[in-house]
Amino acid sequence: MSIQVKNVSKSFGSFQALKDISVDIESGELIALLGPSGSGKTTLLRILAGLEGLDEGAIYFDGENITNVSPKERKVGFVFQHYALFRHMTVFENVAYGLKVRPRKTRPSKQEIAKKVNELLELVKLQNFQDRYPSQLSGGQRQRVALARALAVEPKVLLLDEPFGALDAKVRKELRRWLRQLHNEFHVTSIFVTHDQEEALDVADRIIVMNNGKIEQIGTPDEVYENPKSPFVYDFLGNVNIFRGRLQNGKLRQGQFEISAPNYLDSHDEAVGYVRPHDIQIEKEKVDNETVAAKITFIHIVGPTVQIELKREDNGEFLEAELTKEHYKNLEIQKGDIVYVRPKQLKVFIPEDFSI
Amino acid sequence: MELSLKRRKKTTIIPGFSLTFGYTMLYLSMIVLLPLSMIIVNTLSMSWSEFYETITHPRAVASYKLSFGTAFVAGLINVFFGTMIAWVLIRYEFPGRKIIDGLVDLPFALPTAVAGIALTTLYAPNGWIGQFFDFKISYTPLGIIIALTFIGLPFVVRTVQPVLQNLSKEVEEASASLGATRFQTFVKIILPELYPAMITGFSLAFSRALGEYGSVVFIAGNMPMKTEITPLIIMTKLEQYDYVGATAIAIVMLSGSFIILLFINFIQWRMNRKFYH
Ligand SMILES: Nc1ncnc2c1ncn2[C@@H]1O[C@H](COP(=O)(O)OP(=O)(O)OP(=O)(O)O)[C@@H](O)[C@H]1O
Ligand SMILES: [Mg+2]
Repeated sequence: MSIQVKNVSKSFGSFQALKDISVDIESGELIALLGPSGSGKTTLLRILAGLEGLDEGAIYFDGENITNVSPKERKVGFVFQHYALFRHMTVFENVAYGLKVRPRKTRPSKQEIAKKVNELLELVKLQNFQDRYPSQLSGGQRQRVALARALAVEPKVLLLDEPFGALDAKVRKELRRWLRQLHNEFHVTSIFVTHDQEEALDVADRIIVMNNGKIEQIGTPDEVYENPKSPFVYDFLGNVNIFRGRLQNGKLRQGQFEISAPNYLDSHDEAVGYVRPHDIQIEKEKVDNETVAAKITFIHIVGPTVQIELKREDNGEFLEAELTKEHYKNLEIQKGDIVYVRPKQLKVFIPEDFSI
Repeated sequence: MELSLKRRKKTTIIPGFSLTFGYTMLYLSMIVLLPLSMIIVNTLSMSWSEFYETITHPRAVASYKLSFGTAFVAGLINVFFGTMIAWVLIRYEFPGRKIIDGLVDLPFALPTAVAGIALTTLYAPNGWIGQFFDFKISYTPLGIIIALTFIGLPFVVRTVQPVLQNLSKEVEEASASLGATRFQTFVKIILPELYPAMITGFSLAFSRALGEYGSVVFIAGNMPMKTEITPLIIMTKLEQYDYVGATAIAIVMLSGSFIILLFINFIQWRMNRKFYH
């Protein structure tokens, strides 16, 4: 089912939680909703599920305006951040609930329900846990029960609010792969909220980045990561180094130091350059003006990569670089050394357009 | 070897078990067990046949039926309406909510005799409410039930209220988005969460009603075999200086309530198992 959100706004009292949100989601897409805490992700999801009313705008499912349709009729599966399992029911009863509450005409028989529930429990690998109560399960298991429960009613749209929020890194990774697989199998249009940019980049077809109740950017993981539309998105999707300067003849200049910015040949504005840590090259000799001297203040070796913190000699700003271990070994550098830092990939934003 | 055995002793991270447990036992013994055992000691001066005769006297038997029966019905009525009042107070915003909330406790504050007199007047055949019914309410078991309902009302409301307040909204929303109607959500999701509190409220209201004397004697009419409650029989015996007879009847009441409360606790334990494993 395709989803269209048209100019939706929502306030809580005087606080505007969503400001003129518009999104088109195609049938069968897996969308990640990414943004800092309080940016309105949950609010948007709840509005889609019909759990929250909206002040302005409209929502269409498959072209049909469902703005005033009750949650019961929307056929939306909602997986809550804190699972919201029915604690007085066993795992089996939890999953069967959505089928059991159907009106008699459309309700499957007891055997059909049992068959369906067993299939789902198998899918979420909980077939041996069907007689347990939620309080007897681990966080990851509860999460999967919540997912199975939502899937049992064969929703047209699946909304997941930080589905892997409370889990450890390894389980998260496993579950998100599994969510991707599940999605490939069922083709249900899905939106999941996450704080974790890596998670979003890893599994989503498209990413919606939200900030302050507004959508900053919508795009494929690649687009959003490589071509962020605003400093906020750039910043949010990973670590960054910031170089402030003035554009001149296609270069961002900062005193002696200049970085080439070939897309800005005609600008002469104050600008801010963003460089990701892995786009920073470290050299031991000064060969040209496109490098700046910095002192190594810290070296962290994290598995196969090496993170290096540096302090610029000219203005004292801190920089962060990321090298492969091999490269690091070849360089033969150590803490306290003065090295020359060369930004290889620069993304320029001109501050008038964006307040940072 | 010895050390490892000691280590095995079940450890708990909550300190002060022996102190609090010791104090609890002492306190319970002094305040509850000692007076209760005096009843038994007192009765021991009776011969078995005397005892048996006293407690199976037709008047006494009729009073047991009346007392337990009316207390039970009053408890049930309170469970139903108390839960409803708690629901209204928690779920809806309306002017005067705070006042109604305060009114709920009134039956606790009012001297029970006052409540008894007021209810009797209201429900007397020519009273404000009594006149609308063509059957008698005051001076019948019905009147007793009304008095007992009145004094037991706060228990259910006050036990259910906090549970209702703390119910997570998300669980209800989950139920709705799974396609349940509001009625189904209430019956299948909300009520089961309330049962333990409702049962606690019931057992409190029930026990209170069993022992209630002040408000009932006015509205009951106190006709032997018809509207005479067990506490009244005990009082009558006491007034006739028949202490032993009074305690004999008291033992029956005590055992009866003890068995019922034990049974209620058992049901509750079965239910709680689901929630707290
Ligand atoms: N019922 C409510 N009443 C008042 N304010 C609310 C309510 N729900 C949300 N808000 C406010 O709306 C804003 C957005 O909330 P929302 O829950 O959508 O954030 P979020 O992006 O999901 O954040 P998080 O990542 O922390 O879950 C927040 O500032 C929050 O305080
Ligand atoms: Mg949220």
